[in-house]
Amino acid sequence: MSPRWVPSRRGAGGVGGRLLARHPLARHPLARHPLARFPLARFLLRRTATAVLLAFGVTLVTFVLTNLVPGDPAAASLGQRAIGDPAIVAQFRHHYGLDKPLPVQYVTYLGNLLQGDLGESQQSHQPVLTDLSTAVPATLELAGAAIVVSLVVGVAFGVVAALRRDRFTDQLLRVVSLLGVSVPTFWLALLAFYVFFYRLGIAPGSGRIAPDLTAPPHVTGLYTVDAALAGQWPVFWSAVGHLMLPALVLTAYTVGLLTRFTRSAVLEVLGQDYVRAARAKGLPARTVLFQYVLRAALVPVITVAGLAFGALLSGTVLVESIFAWPGLGAYAYRSATTLDLPAVMGVGLVVGIVYLTVNLAVDVLYGVIDPRVRVQ
Amino acid sequence: MSRSRTGSYPAALSLVAVAALALSACSGGGSISGASGGKTLVVDTSFNLKTADPGRMFEPTGQIVDKALYETLLTFKGGDVTKPVAGLASSYELSADGKTLTLRLRTGAKFSDGSAVTADDVVYSLNRVVALKGNPSFLLDGVTVSRTDDSTVTLTSKKANPALPFILPNPALGILNAKTVKAHGGSETYLNKTSAGSGPYTLTSFNTNTQVVLTKNPKYTGPQKPAYDKIVLRNVQAPTQKLNVQRGDSQIALDLTSDQVKGLTGGLKVTSGPSSDVIFLLLNQDTKVSSATANAEFAQAVRKGIDYDGLLSLAGTGSVQPAGIIPSTFLGSLPSSGKTTRDLAAAKAALKASGIAKPSVTLGYASDLTVDGLSLQTLAERVQSQLKEVGITVTLAPAPTTTELDNYRNGKEQTGLWYWGPDYPDPSDYLVFLPGNLVGLRAGWKAGADDTLTALGDKAATTTDQATRKTLYEQIQTRLNESGPFIPLMQPSRNTVAASSVTGVAYNPVWTIDVAALGAK
Repeated sequence: MSPRWVPSRRGAGGVGGRLLARHPLARHPLARHPLARFPLARFLLRRTATAVLLAFGVTLVTFVLTNLVPGDPAAASLGQRAIGDPAIVAQFRHHYGLDKPLPVQYVTYLGNLLQGDLGESQQSHQPVLTDLSTAVPATLELAGAAIVVSLVVGVAFGVVAALRRDRFTDQLLRVVSLLGVSVPTFWLALLAFYVFFYRLGIAPGSGRIAPDLTAPPHVTGLYTVDAALAGQWPVFWSAVGHLMLPALVLTAYTVGLLTRFTRSAVLEVLGQDYVRAARAKGLPARTVLFQYVLRAALVPVITVAGLAFGALLSGTVLVESIFAWPGLGAYAYRSATTLDLPAVMGVGLVVGIVYLTVNLAVDVLYGVIDPRVRVQ
Repeated sequence: MSRSRTGSYPAALSLVAVAALALSACSGGGSISGASGGKTLVVDTSFNLKTADPGRMFEPTGQIVDKALYETLLTFKGGDVTKPVAGLASSYELSADGKTLTLRLRTGAKFSDGSAVTADDVVYSLNRVVALKGNPSFLLDGVTVSRTDDSTVTLTSKKANPALPFILPNPALGILNAKTVKAHGGSETYLNKTSAGSGPYTLTSFNTNTQVVLTKNPKYTGPQKPAYDKIVLRNVQAPTQKLNVQRGDSQIALDLTSDQVKGLTGGLKVTSGPSSDVIFLLLNQDTKVSSATANAEFAQAVRKGIDYDGLLSLAGTGSVQPAGIIPSTFLGSLPSSGKTTRDLAAAKAALKASGIAKPSVTLGYASDLTVDGLSLQTLAERVQSQLKEVGITVTLAPAPTTTELDNYRNGKEQTGLWYWGPDYPDPSDYLVFLPGNLVGLRAGWKAGADDTLTALGDKAATTTDQATRKTLYEQIQTRLNESGPFIPLMQPSRNTVAASSVTGVAYNPVWTIDVAALGAK
């Protein structure tokens, strides 16, 4: 038998479990460091510090890029008459700090950012933070629902396809997954809306809830959660209903992607000696699948899921437009086309933070799933 | 591994998918009228909305909202913008010199909190618009507002201002409850949360990206009580608007193009007519920008070389070719018999007379801009191919709106394709096209370039007699058509689709639609 990794029989367990007591760092000179006994805490601290630096990098890049775009925010924001009045233009520039040199504008932005102030949107005349507090949860609700469904369905499809390799089920799922990754999301959104809402009438119309209902009190910004917290069950069911179709449309691509990756990962693991050994010693099929095969196969799947979440966020731009979903995609589009610089900066920052968080989560999950990662 | 065990997975997953859709179905779509104990009207439109504060608002969706929340001194009935009618003011009188407008307030008018509308509220509201230096401030340029007595206000202009009665109906000049607004520091945030007007509706919720909800004002004292208890204005793109209104999920769709309204069934009513937006071609008169476009014969070649009917076919039913720069529905518009028609031979002759061999110009336009559903990109391509037949090479120079606006406003375009939407429905709004004025300068047409036209413009701006005004504006446009740098191309069509249960649908160039005037069958 080749010197391959033999999976732990203790299950996934916690990252900071007993393994860490035998961590090489425990005997390292740096072991006296207060955090030495908590490698996960150190890891998170280091990554968070990096993330903060990267977030500032994101603001710098976004700031430079948005200011490189030819076009005058005042011209984009003021009306055809107001732009002809120098006093109004001067007041606009002064109000948004556009009359200061660019480096001063950036430093001012950073200073405000540290105090949690992302500036005021030139389009909505509201703090960008207020705008984002409704747009971001709307998109997270959509993308979150989509990624959960994608993971459940995509991984299940992938496992089934691998287990039934080259049989009819496998062929069918491969065609389905190929369709999923090939069909443009916006086209599928239009088609789904037309068929399920217009033709069949089984899906609700556009928006987040039925127009005769009032949005639940803002707690998380996720209508499903907020409605449940407030005990407004008609609103909750309306929110769930409105979420279904756009979320399912978004899952088409990610389900296809995850099915394909899971299938190949599971197939690779199924051929390993330790799986054969496990089967040979008579372990139940369920145990072999969940504890031996899936756990090892999940590492590449998690990587792809992280990337898929990013793809979902970008995919929402068009889906949000078709379903009149007031999320980050719609907000980003409007901000970019109207040169609403504070809003563009805010969107850039949020997307950057989401990516950094997802990457961090993926890295932590590696450790949870694969003990080798923990000791490296 | 037992294969029979795994055989149940696809079936289970199919069940999950079916259950998801079933759950989605349970929450229902369909019509919502009467769902919350009263009549609700859902209006879908593609939002162009920044604020509900009248003093800062000047966007199309904001006009719809504020028209319902605030009363103005004067207003228009339905789509007729040629005659201002009583609003909060029961009558008005313009002095012979056109400088003083006296308005008497309607007795018994009340704000939504029950307090009376006074002359002080009018003075505060109108002065606030000027002081805020926002998009609508220009409406009252040079106008002083004063209180004559409890029920009379006087608006005094520095120069004769016969357009003022046509300007006052703009919802940006809605009258606010001064006491309430002052108590909240005149804050825009406050006016985006709640309204402080005497209009037929009050503001329930406001979001510039999602939807605006209006609730009937029980204390409204105007002549016509609103038919709907609640109005929901939703931000929806045109293709989705079509499906929503067909399915009954909404009752009105405001932004469907002529192609989209074709073949609409299910008892929907389509109201089509010309928009008041005029799309025009600009030829720069600055020889430093282009010696070709500054040549009068070249301009004539372009004017005669355009196939106007061909362009109208792009915009569909309801679109018209205005004979001058003033929209066909406004006072002072030229009769349609005066419109320019294509004459290819005359165009080629003019081009030859210009002495320009192989003329080549660039055409700047905003490629992402659609005017009433008509893409400027499509229009630019058609103009390019039409002028090629004359012998003029047009190089398209598309750019995003934000970029191209700069070129246009700074007078850098050789030729440009733009539109002018009226700020108020009076011909004086079009004096900006004269030499040395706002749009004239964008075409490199400096003051002094045409003294006759300037004199005509000055006279028209101060004349109060409507018949004389009409004649003067017609003369201005005739001269503009002969020698000006602007070629009016079309007014695209404007379609309003409504459910059969909705009555009284009328397109108004200022506020698009008055939701409070809509009736229910």
